[in-house]
Amino acid sequence: MTRKGKRLTLIAGAMAVLGLAAGLMLFALRDNIVFFYTPSELAKKQVAAGARLRIGGLVKEGSVVKNGHDVNFTVTDKTNDLAVSYTGLLPDLFREGQGVVVDGVLQPTGAFRADSVLAKHDERYMPRDVADALKKQGVWQGETK
Amino acid sequence: MSFLSTYANPTRFLRFAEGALPWLSGATLLLLAIGLYGAFTAPPDYQQGETVRIMYIHVPSAWIAIFAYVVMTSASLGVLVWRHPLADAAQKTAANLGAAFTFICLVTGSLWGKPMWGTFWVWDARLTSMLVLFLLYLGLIAVRQTMDDTPRGARIAAIMTLVGAIDIPIIKYSVDWWNTLHQPASVFRIGGPSISGSMLWPLIIMTLAGTLLFLTLHVMAIRNEILRRRLARLSMQAVRAGEPAGDESMEPAK
Amino acid sequence: MSALPALFLREWRVARRIGGSGAMGVVFFLTLVAIVPFAVGPDPNLLARIGPAILWIAALLATLLCLDRLFQADAEDGSLDLFHLAETPLELAVLVKCAAHWAATGLPLILAAPFLGLMLQQERMALVGVVATLLVGTPALTLIGAIGAAATVTVRRGGLLMALLVLPLTIPVLIFGVSAAEAASGGTVPFYAPFAILCAITLAALALCPFAAAAALRYLGE
Repeated sequence: MTRKGKRLTLIAGAMAVLGLAAGLMLFALRDNIVFFYTPSELAKKQVAAGARLRIGGLVKEGSVVKNGHDVNFTVTDKTNDLAVSYTGLLPDLFREGQGVVVDGVLQPTGAFRADSVLAKHDERYMPRDVADALKKQGVWQGETK
Repeated sequence: MSFLSTYANPTRFLRFAEGALPWLSGATLLLLAIGLYGAFTAPPDYQQGETVRIMYIHVPSAWIAIFAYVVMTSASLGVLVWRHPLADAAQKTAANLGAAFTFICLVTGSLWGKPMWGTFWVWDARLTSMLVLFLLYLGLIAVRQTMDDTPRGARIAAIMTLVGAIDIPIIKYSVDWWNTLHQPASVFRIGGPSISGSMLWPLIIMTLAGTLLFLTLHVMAIRNEILRRRLARLSMQAVRAGEPAGDESMEPAK
Repeated sequence: MSALPALFLREWRVARRIGGSGAMGVVFFLTLVAIVPFAVGPDPNLLARIGPAILWIAALLATLLCLDRLFQADAEDGSLDLFHLAETPLELAVLVKCAAHWAATGLPLILAAPFLGLMLQQERMALVGVVATLLVGTPALTLIGAIGAAATVTVRRGGLLMALLVLPLTIPVLIFGVSAAEAASGGTVPFYAPFAILCAITLAALALCPFAAAAALRYLGE
């Protein structure tokens, strides 16, 4: 084989391997690797108690019960709910209807014991009066992510 | 390409820098003044309140951090393909600036994250890929410090810049590919910006001001780099010709 | 094409000789893993949880530290110039050198990993997971490291510089390697997802890194 022929074979081989890599990547991304799971994904997966994981969702309206530093609330994604208990300080953005990511351990009772609560902000930024006006007009699309 | 061959000459570049720098820095100052005025008078966010103002520093510095890497990547191509000393200087100086702006971006992000998310740092895809960018910049600076001004050093840095460029699309799309804690893109997204107009215009002005600031600093840094190398070469020649280089008092005792 | 097997054998022999990096890599790996329980405390539950991560970090550092001489010795004795002139493409020579280097330093690490895993209180499934991920992931580390080794081939004492340049690029390998290893012994992610991504990274490294390393050698060789 000539030098040029060898180079071409080499490049063709590399392209084939790259294609294989891309195929594997697409295969793997069907079940994507995520920073957090939603309560529905958790319900589907049937995770064993004691596993460490992160759950993301919205704080259900009217579910927050504060007792000193102990807080109980429900994380929802509008189809499934998950009861969460937490002890400690909450971030500023934590409020009902707002997105949160909780990090902790699933209890045998099916409830979730959080070690940390992170508030998730969405990509919308607006002044308060605009938000109020939008709510009034009914074009508010809810606090979904 | 004719533009390249005209301005890629170090002497011409010095002349260009002399003419352009007053305009560049003037425009930067003007835009920064307008942008900062806008940032301080923009309404507070309905959720974040006053803390939203960190965005006016954080977002432009994140953009410049990435922009600097793109500039550095094209300069690296110039180093490898045309072997141009100007591209070499541009690559070297962009790394320092990029590292500085990445640092600002990470720090302001942390300061925003503590009150809003409840933590200074999380290992989500956007934050981690940005940290990797910072590490890449530091590695490239280390190459330059180890290798001085040799053409070899320039080529090592250029090759590693091209290899590290893989991080740039990862940063950009990390918020779309994974469920990150970091919020998705607000400005460049399908369906138009999701930032209210009164907050969007200061952000755009600040981003423009930041870009101009980077360009101004970069042109200055390239100019200084060219002058520094000339000085080094001249003093080498002077030493070779048997003259004392520079200040007499700096000479070692005889 | 008989040049390539010959090159493989040569590299293998050089790596195994005293002063070569083969045996030292394993000893370094062992020492690193042994240090960790002193630092974090001998709590079996904690060690069981972070064991895969410890093994991965140790393998990453051991691989990188062994790599800095990959092309330097060849540059010093002139055989690198022969690779440049040879009929065989430089990319293939780089690939074969990486393969030999991996066989001499990476494989022993993987063989040692289950025993060290037992010392770190790993369950049987976790051991299988760690060994499988290391087997698939360490070639990517060697290949990515080869770019750094090629870029710093002319730098005297370039080992630290190389580590600085290469470590950020190995983060994806580490992320998916550790998450696959942990998924093997339970958890929320199915084992195949991060494992397939790890395989994809290794394949991509296999396809791209020899070209990048060879380009670096060419640009710096002139």
